[in-house]
Amino acid sequence: MSMETYLNFSQDNLWGELWPELSLCLGALLVLGFDLFSKSSNAKKRAGSLAIFFQFILLAAHLFDYLLLRHTFDRESFSGMLKHGIHQDVMRSFFLLSSLLVSLLGHRYLETRKLRVGEFHHLTMIATAGLMLLCQTQHFLVFFVALETVALCFYPLVAFDRESPKSLEAGIKYLIFGALSSALLLFGIVLLYGVGSNPEAWGTTLSTVPSSDAFSFSFLYQLLSENPNHLLLRAGVVLIISGIAFKVGAAPFQIWVPDVYHGAPMPITAFLAVSSKSAGFFVLINLVNGPFAGMSEFLLPLLGFVATFTIFFGNLAACSQRNLKRMLGLSGVAHAGYLLVAVMASMLLPGESDRAVWILFFYLFTYLLASFAVFGVMGLARVTDDSEHEFSDYENLAQKKPWAAFVLVVGIGSLAGIPPFAGFIGKLLLFSVAFETKLFLSIVAMVIGVVISIYYYFGWIREICFHPRPVFEDDEAKHDPWKDVGSVGMLKPALFSLVLASIVLGLWQGPIGDAF
Amino acid sequence: MTSDALLLLGSILVPAIGSVLFFSGFAKDEGSLKKLGYLVFGFPCLAAVILFFRFDGSAGYNFEVLYDRMGLQELGITFHLGLNGVSSPLFAMAGIVGLGAGLAALHSGAERMHLYLALLALMQAGLMGLFASVDIFFYYLFHEFALIPTFIMIGLWGGRDRRSIALEITIYLTLGALISLGGLVALNILVDAPKFDFPSISAALDQSSLTDSAAFKIYGLLLLGFGILVALFPFHTWAARGYDTAPTSVSMLHAGVLKKFGLYGIIQIASPLLPEAALAWSPWLMWLALGNILLVGMVAVAQTNFKSMISYGSVMHMGYCFLGIGVCSVLGVGSTVMLMCAHGLSVSLMFLLANFVRKRSNTLEMQEIGGLGEKTPLLACFCIAATLATIGLPGFGNFWGEFGIFLSLGESHEHLIFLVLAALGIILSAVFGLRAIAQIFFGQESEELRKHAKESPIADLSRAEIIPASLILVALLFIGLWPASISDRINDEISNRYSHLQLKNTLSKPSCCPVDEDVKSIETPYSTSD
Amino acid sequence: MLSVTPQHFLILSFLLVGIGFLGLLIRRNVLLMLMSLELMLNGINVALLTFSRVGSNLDGGIFVFFIMTVAAAEVAVGLALLVALYKKRNSVLSDDMGLLKN
Repeated sequence: MSMETYLNFSQDNLWGELWPELSLCLGALLVLGFDLFSKSSNAKKRAGSLAIFFQFILLAAHLFDYLLLRHTFDRESFSGMLKHGIHQDVMRSFFLLSSLLVSLLGHRYLETRKLRVGEFHHLTMIATAGLMLLCQTQHFLVFFVALETVALCFYPLVAFDRESPKSLEAGIKYLIFGALSSALLLFGIVLLYGVGSNPEAWGTTLSTVPSSDAFSFSFLYQLLSENPNHLLLRAGVVLIISGIAFKVGAAPFQIWVPDVYHGAPMPITAFLAVSSKSAGFFVLINLVNGPFAGMSEFLLPLLGFVATFTIFFGNLAACSQRNLKRMLGLSGVAHAGYLLVAVMASMLLPGESDRAVWILFFYLFTYLLASFAVFGVMGLARVTDDSEHEFSDYENLAQKKPWAAFVLVVGIGSLAGIPPFAGFIGKLLLFSVAFETKLFLSIVAMVIGVVISIYYYFGWIREICFHPRPVFEDDEAKHDPWKDVGSVGMLKPALFSLVLASIVLGLWQGPIGDAF
Repeated sequence: MTSDALLLLGSILVPAIGSVLFFSGFAKDEGSLKKLGYLVFGFPCLAAVILFFRFDGSAGYNFEVLYDRMGLQELGITFHLGLNGVSSPLFAMAGIVGLGAGLAALHSGAERMHLYLALLALMQAGLMGLFASVDIFFYYLFHEFALIPTFIMIGLWGGRDRRSIALEITIYLTLGALISLGGLVALNILVDAPKFDFPSISAALDQSSLTDSAAFKIYGLLLLGFGILVALFPFHTWAARGYDTAPTSVSMLHAGVLKKFGLYGIIQIASPLLPEAALAWSPWLMWLALGNILLVGMVAVAQTNFKSMISYGSVMHMGYCFLGIGVCSVLGVGSTVMLMCAHGLSVSLMFLLANFVRKRSNTLEMQEIGGLGEKTPLLACFCIAATLATIGLPGFGNFWGEFGIFLSLGESHEHLIFLVLAALGIILSAVFGLRAIAQIFFGQESEELRKHAKESPIADLSRAEIIPASLILVALLFIGLWPASISDRINDEISNRYSHLQLKNTLSKPSCCPVDEDVKSIETPYSTSD
Repeated sequence: MLSVTPQHFLILSFLLVGIGFLGLLIRRNVLLMLMSLELMLNGINVALLTFSRVGSNLDGGIFVFFIMTVAAAEVAVGLALLVALYKKRNSVLSDDMGLLKN
């Protein structure tokens, strides 16, 4: 092959577009090296601060680049493997923000539990880089590699607390289930590739061939829209969606959620709840509106059933949980159900599905604000075992630490979708787009789901705000997790800004409102 | 922005900011807490009363505040405040009841007073915003301000069973709110109006593709949702238990003001926009309203606890309001608005007085009290006045409301059965109201009362207690003795909105009431569409 | 003698994936579960290569390399976790991992 052929390909390789991911990886190596080569334990703590600072600068630079300098170009690069545009830039900022908050939460967590610092931040940053790459894929190869990068970083993160058997157990469970889902996903991809590489042999038709790459989304879009009823293609699509449904925690693949959320360290639970879910949904909405767009008639009832089942299962199962992390995991499953309704609406909106994507973004953003507020406060409690957060640990928090109770109540209210918090606006937008696309059954399911969720969310607020239960003399002294919380440092202003954003967004959506 | 518009905006902002100040511990000692409380609760009341008198009945909204860029342009949501003929008296009522509730809270001696006042002020901000809001979304949003404060206040300062009742009330309120939100969103989407408020939607209604069956379903959704919020039979169980358990100020605000949210929504938004659907649903509504009046009324008669009796009584009176709405005529709906104002004042006065009684006799079981009237004649006076107002005695505002509703029921012969059965309800309310007064204030002093009086002597109303009670009573008398003050503006507004509906109603056969000419010659405040 | 067609390879790959899946469901030993996972991934590899051959396309073969790399990394992580867990619980059986319950 001559230089000209290579030149054609390489001109498309716009490495400059990937500067956030590359610099994040560089930063990860820097943090790891700093931790590795520093001798004193004080310097190890500085590795954490370095990581936080680095991510903050990166987030600011990225926002500056795309908001002010407007360096967002709608184009594809790397021979059509990556796609860049406004959606991708928004998701990248989202993941950077999420990762920054995880590092912030983790900084304090690692210190109190005396865990390794450098590896934690390194893995978090690599996972974030993988997530950012995942949002830009237009090709199943990059999709698979990015997805596996994220997953492989998450497995040790979930098991990070090596002294706690619960954490290790959660890690193993997550690995087994995650690898299984990856295998399913892969099988789906392979089926699609198989039919695509030789369409006539499998009884499918293919008229024009944009590119002969059977892994690329554009090729598959052509193939699937022309053969929506082919058995192998349908099987492939269902397998791929099953694999993503696992990541997102949609029924019937949500079995791992309560266990893994229970065992994982608090910042990682937050990371899983927010980033993993958001990436899964963004990928799903890209897939169903991209390559699988031709199969909407087949996918819609399927997704409808899954969404309704998820909403009911998530809410009902959360009602019976005693452990708070499990409850939050299952409530996250319910939120996944609501978001699936947005995905369905995007398939039904005539013409551009853009509006549904922005509604998805908004909902995920409010979910980020609320989740990190809640997990942030939960991380402050000095419970004997990090996994065992019961309702009774939060008894009378309103008197013990009013500011923490305030943050927690706002976070829970936003998760429940109570006005005037931002979570309500997210649900309102979901309602409106579901009405527009006439998904009435899903609306009924959502209403029932929200009412059921009041039971466990307000049950928690009840514990926080109401009078504590009377203590009898022969009861053993209960360990108060809020007695010596110590200095909170950077976390307090961060939590307050999350809460402020939730309240402000609930009343005034400002410039973002134009997008809907 | 004119000064009046500033007053309107301020009456919402002052309680909201006051709530933040209370919560952050700005006022440390009791003195400054009281001063801040007077300011925070007094300003909206003063502003509301000033705006009430400065209202000029011009068409459209007075004292408008408009801010376009609140976001969500696609759904047409703007921040638009204003008062019209229907909302102006309700706004004033909200301010007065709020001041009464705030004063009651300040002198209640509750623990953690700053948190209590913070939550109460937040609720008050929501209530003022509710009636001042022109935009439908913000009308809904302001109502929801009350959700978390109610939950926390009932749970911390409530009576029996407060933990479970707080959760129950929140679940019911959320259910009703979500169902009505569904109806409102459906209305917004199906009628593609540039702004989400009544004038825009009614203008866009003709060009929209809203079919009759869709309108029927939307109205049904709105009726169901608002009905749950207003405690329409059979969704009424949460309300009475909730008001019984809640602390006094919360009961005053809830039963007095917050419940009117649903009725206001049906009157201002649902019925005028969807008239055919309103007429179609009206038989259902009226039969369920009768359930409220008779069945809940009988439950009220069976109560032995004073506060429970008032709670069930307030649920019962909502039945009259629904009857008036179901008639779908200017007279009926206008009288409902009058009854809403008056009922809000009278029921909050009753809750306030019940609290005073409890402070003196340490119990609310009516049979354990007796002869209180000898020791506290002033309290007895107020109680008798409030009870007579609730029953519907002329001289108080409730009379005009109920009388107007009965008149409107009598106008068409198919509603006569409702008239007869609703009139029975008056007898029921007289029974339980007067019996309560007799048991508490007259008769022999009971053993328990005598024992309690020995420990802490029973005094008559103090100055701190007289002020809120007389404030509300004066407002009641004002409406009762000068109904034209509010009925004129209500009439103008309602006949404006219901013009096409009234047309439909006159097509139905007239009843055994006097023929049209006789009615027209009588100069009443309710001249319909002249 | 029968000629070996691509269909045979596909049946082989389905069998491997099926056996791996069954093994994952049935086995109590976590180490064997990891092995079953590897078996599934390798079955998928075989399918990919078959499709690649049939379509005269090299894309499938390239993908196989990526899958092998990822599988290796996964195994490394999985074994490390398993060793850490064994040090704590002295067992690799999934029955002994019942700490995370309601």
